[in-house]
Amino acid sequence: MHDTPLIGSYNPDDVLAWEYGGPRTARQFLADVFSLAESLPDRPAVLNLAASRYEFLVGFSAAILQRQLTLLPQSRAPQALLRIAADYPDSYALTDSDEAIEGIESLPIRSQGGRVSRPMEIPRVPLNQLVAIAFTSGSTGQPMPNKKTWGALTAVACATGSRLGIKPGERAAVVATVPHQHMFGLEASVMLPVMHGLVMHAGRPLFPADIRSALAEVSGQRILVTTPLHLRACLTEGVRVPPVHLILSATAPLARGLAQEAERHFHTEVHEIFGFAEAGSVAERRTIDGDRWRPLDGVRLVQADRSWVVQAKYLPAPVRVPDRITVDAEGLFVIHGREADQVNVAGHRVSLGDLNQKLLAVDGVEDGVFFFPEEGSELVTRLMAFVVAPGKSGEEILRALRGHIDPVFLPRPLISVPSLPRNATGKLPRESLQELARQWLARQDHGA
Amino acid sequence: MSEISALEQDVARLIVQTLKLKVDPASIQPEAALFGEGLGLDSIDALELSLAISQTYGYQLKSSDPEIKAIFSSLRALAKAIEKNRTK
Repeated sequence: MHDTPLIGSYNPDDVLAWEYGGPRTARQFLADVFSLAESLPDRPAVLNLAASRYEFLVGFSAAILQRQLTLLPQSRAPQALLRIAADYPDSYALTDSDEAIEGIESLPIRSQGGRVSRPMEIPRVPLNQLVAIAFTSGSTGQPMPNKKTWGALTAVACATGSRLGIKPGERAAVVATVPHQHMFGLEASVMLPVMHGLVMHAGRPLFPADIRSALAEVSGQRILVTTPLHLRACLTEGVRVPPVHLILSATAPLARGLAQEAERHFHTEVHEIFGFAEAGSVAERRTIDGDRWRPLDGVRLVQADRSWVVQAKYLPAPVRVPDRITVDAEGLFVIHGREADQVNVAGHRVSLGDLNQKLLAVDGVEDGVFFFPEEGSELVTRLMAFVVAPGKSGEEILRALRGHIDPVFLPRPLISVPSLPRNATGKLPRESLQELARQWLARQDHGA
Repeated sequence: MSEISALEQDVARLIVQTLKLKVDPASIQPEAALFGEGLGLDSIDALELSLAISQTYGYQLKSSDPEIKAIFSSLRALAKAIEKNRTK
């Protein structure tokens, strides 16, 4: 088998997506794809920035048919987009609003559910076709490209579906709070439903009341693809939702207590996916059953030197696991923490080295460092930063950083200091930074 | 500078406390932007803030609310929406 169909098993009039305006059938979807594909400029690569999951899918599919590579930026920061566009000459952007992206030629996706008379014909896509690049932050300040073939995306979707017992034909509906430009979002909220003939909700609900509305809009079995952050928000708010068949959480570790509470509140099982952009989804567990992760079918963890790598038929080369793990005789594994340089803020992984580089590149900053404090009781633990920048205000530095890094990583707070506690070798031991943070917090409490 | 109401002062304090901002609540300009350029808040802040507003004032925010952008546009707009929709 060298190619597979663009979408799973749908009858022409089956609902494929639920848009704000109403249902979109498989037939309408293909008409939208063909119509957009014809109007796309002849270019090698496209930044798909569509906010609607449906318009994103139409754009992604049209690009695949035209053999164009879809670029998935990790951040919407203008400089980050420009940098990616500069690395892919002749690339352009697809949006679903009238939003203009400064410095990048932008084209709107306007799917009007155009009428089609031709019989439904599902195009096939070669498994080895490179269809997407997901960017992650490297320690050098440059976005790192992670290439995804059609074979990799479809294999992960099928392995995830079979692990979760999703049966094509059951026609469940997937509602997701995660962004589809994020690797987990692409896999679990776009590829998973579309490969299994399910209904994909196009929205991206944020507040608990939005999640309730989105779930109420679809009928039949409901699958909620979300994050610990949104689950905690729903529980805090005590929002009452229609029956949910399954909850799938990822992007950050879900505490077992929270999973237990969510299972009780939603009357359903809460499963988690472990993965990272370089490899895609790797393993699954039902959180309340314990710490151990079971790799998806076709995925193997192999020891290489002092770290572990993921092997799978669809990965061109083994991929290093960015977390410290131990693997038992059955191949199940436990995660002990992240590698030193990596932090996760609200499901976005970033290298502290990368952030430090960007901070040091700000005009007027003589020295500076990002610091990830111990996780506290708030929904999301934010980064803080210490900076030596005489004559620069915190506002000026933040404004400069905002153009280069995802807002989620902006330091909160940014603290000006006369110097950083560098040791004899110029390094900044974590203990010294912890002490600096502790002193600062003590002063704050005192002042308050 | 325009007058600031008691509710606006309360909401400013709620914002600063909830989001652990390093600013004096009294320094938040009632008409200035909260998100993007102004205080630089993001969607996670919006979520945290919505929970605090719901717990304090019994008002559940929804992003399908056609006014949502306007509601979050400034302290004054947010306080006005809370005033109108509060249940406690």
